[in-house]
Amino acid sequence: MTELCPIYLDHAATSWPKPQPVLDAVVSALTECGGNPGRGVHALGLAASRLIFEARGDVAAFLGVPDARDLAFLSGCTEGTNIMLKGLLKPGDRVAVSSMEHNAVARPLHVLAMNGLEVDVIEADETGFIDPDRAEAVVRAKPTRAVICLHASNVTGTIQPIGDLADIAHAAGALMLVDGAQGGGHLPVDVASLAVDAYAVSGHKGLLGPQGVGGLYLAPSLQPEELLQGGTGGGSSELPTQPEMRPDRYEAGTPNTPGIAGLGAAVRFLAEDGRAERQRAEEAALVGRLAEGLAELPGIRVLGPAPHAPRVPVVSVVHDRVPADRIAFTLDKRYGIAVRAGLHCAPWAHRALGTLGTGAVRFSVGFGDTADDIEAAIDAMRAIVKEGA
Amino acid sequence: MSRERSEFVVLGFPSTHDALAAESLLKDLGVPVVPVPAPQEIGALCGIALRLVPGDVLRARELLERASIPIAAEVTVDDV
Repeated sequence: MTELCPIYLDHAATSWPKPQPVLDAVVSALTECGGNPGRGVHALGLAASRLIFEARGDVAAFLGVPDARDLAFLSGCTEGTNIMLKGLLKPGDRVAVSSMEHNAVARPLHVLAMNGLEVDVIEADETGFIDPDRAEAVVRAKPTRAVICLHASNVTGTIQPIGDLADIAHAAGALMLVDGAQGGGHLPVDVASLAVDAYAVSGHKGLLGPQGVGGLYLAPSLQPEELLQGGTGGGSSELPTQPEMRPDRYEAGTPNTPGIAGLGAAVRFLAEDGRAERQRAEEAALVGRLAEGLAELPGIRVLGPAPHAPRVPVVSVVHDRVPADRIAFTLDKRYGIAVRAGLHCAPWAHRALGTLGTGAVRFSVGFGDTADDIEAAIDAMRAIVKEGA
Repeated sequence: MSRERSEFVVLGFPSTHDALAAESLLKDLGVPVVPVPAPQEIGALCGIALRLVPGDVLRARELLERASIPIAAEVTVDDV
């Protein structure tokens, strides 16, 4: 794709390249809307305020959020998971959480558990899937404050049955909290029909926005404590307490206007003329072929779903002799193919898959990738495992 | 030479989002509004307020209520 990186297969970390309208929107935000949003009623301040207002409406519509005020713009998905977990869960509460979680959930839960939160894990099956019956058994075992599950695994691409889990949670009087980092863009997300209580999303992965921006949907009935207090521009500035109205409560401090501008442009780009649906279909075909091609290589074990089973466009593999880090390094240096080795910030998931000790090589497909890129990656892997075996 | 004094109504909102939602809605429905810094008469609020002529206030209130956009404060101000 460039001299530096001909083939980019690390979209689950950060999608690249970005569509041109995203780049244009970031530049425009800095050159034409350079005031501080919500802080001034001069032309540049208003331009920045309107930019964020419009982006919020467009991102909310793309994610099926009925009232845009219920979508806060944050620094990323991780801030969202921290708000939903630390803002809602108290010592003595008990949660049921999937074994496939990323550290964006696992680490906040660890902190909360040190302070008296009871954490019970719902074990995934061998494909990384959280079976609703298994989840229900864990949830029903004791009074449960929340069921927590990521929408899709960043290691295996496994898509979780969030709607079913939400039904189970609500039947038990529990909340349904979702880390949607790998969902937004790669899956059709409609938080209203999923009936989740909170959904955190990353702006810079499948949604194709810039880094440093994400969102958190909170159901209107929820009022988690905010993590940060500070200026919000509007509201009652003389009060010492953070305003309770949304989205201000969760947006203390000057927002990332260029990032939000880019994210707004990205979802408009995806929503245009059914592009998101076409992109998802292309990704499904490419990742299916990639998983199939890798699975045929000697010594390779593909983690997660069967090659052509539904998944977000992520496929991770281990080789029985060549270490993951060596494969990734060789792919980069010899073939110009960007992938990610290691634990992918998801030691829980690797423990569930039996790869905590070895890690894995993750290929993640996205915007801009082609069938030729996939064949080149399979060919490169064939050569690497032949040489290393 | 002296300018004619005019009377305006200024609406304050709980948040910037609400103020901009109100501006967008009212403009779309033909009610002219001008974003202004929230005046001191609005008291504790700060940020963006909307100025409109008194004759449009009743309609604006109705339209905003129908759209569930809350008005946090309303004051009449003189402008020179």
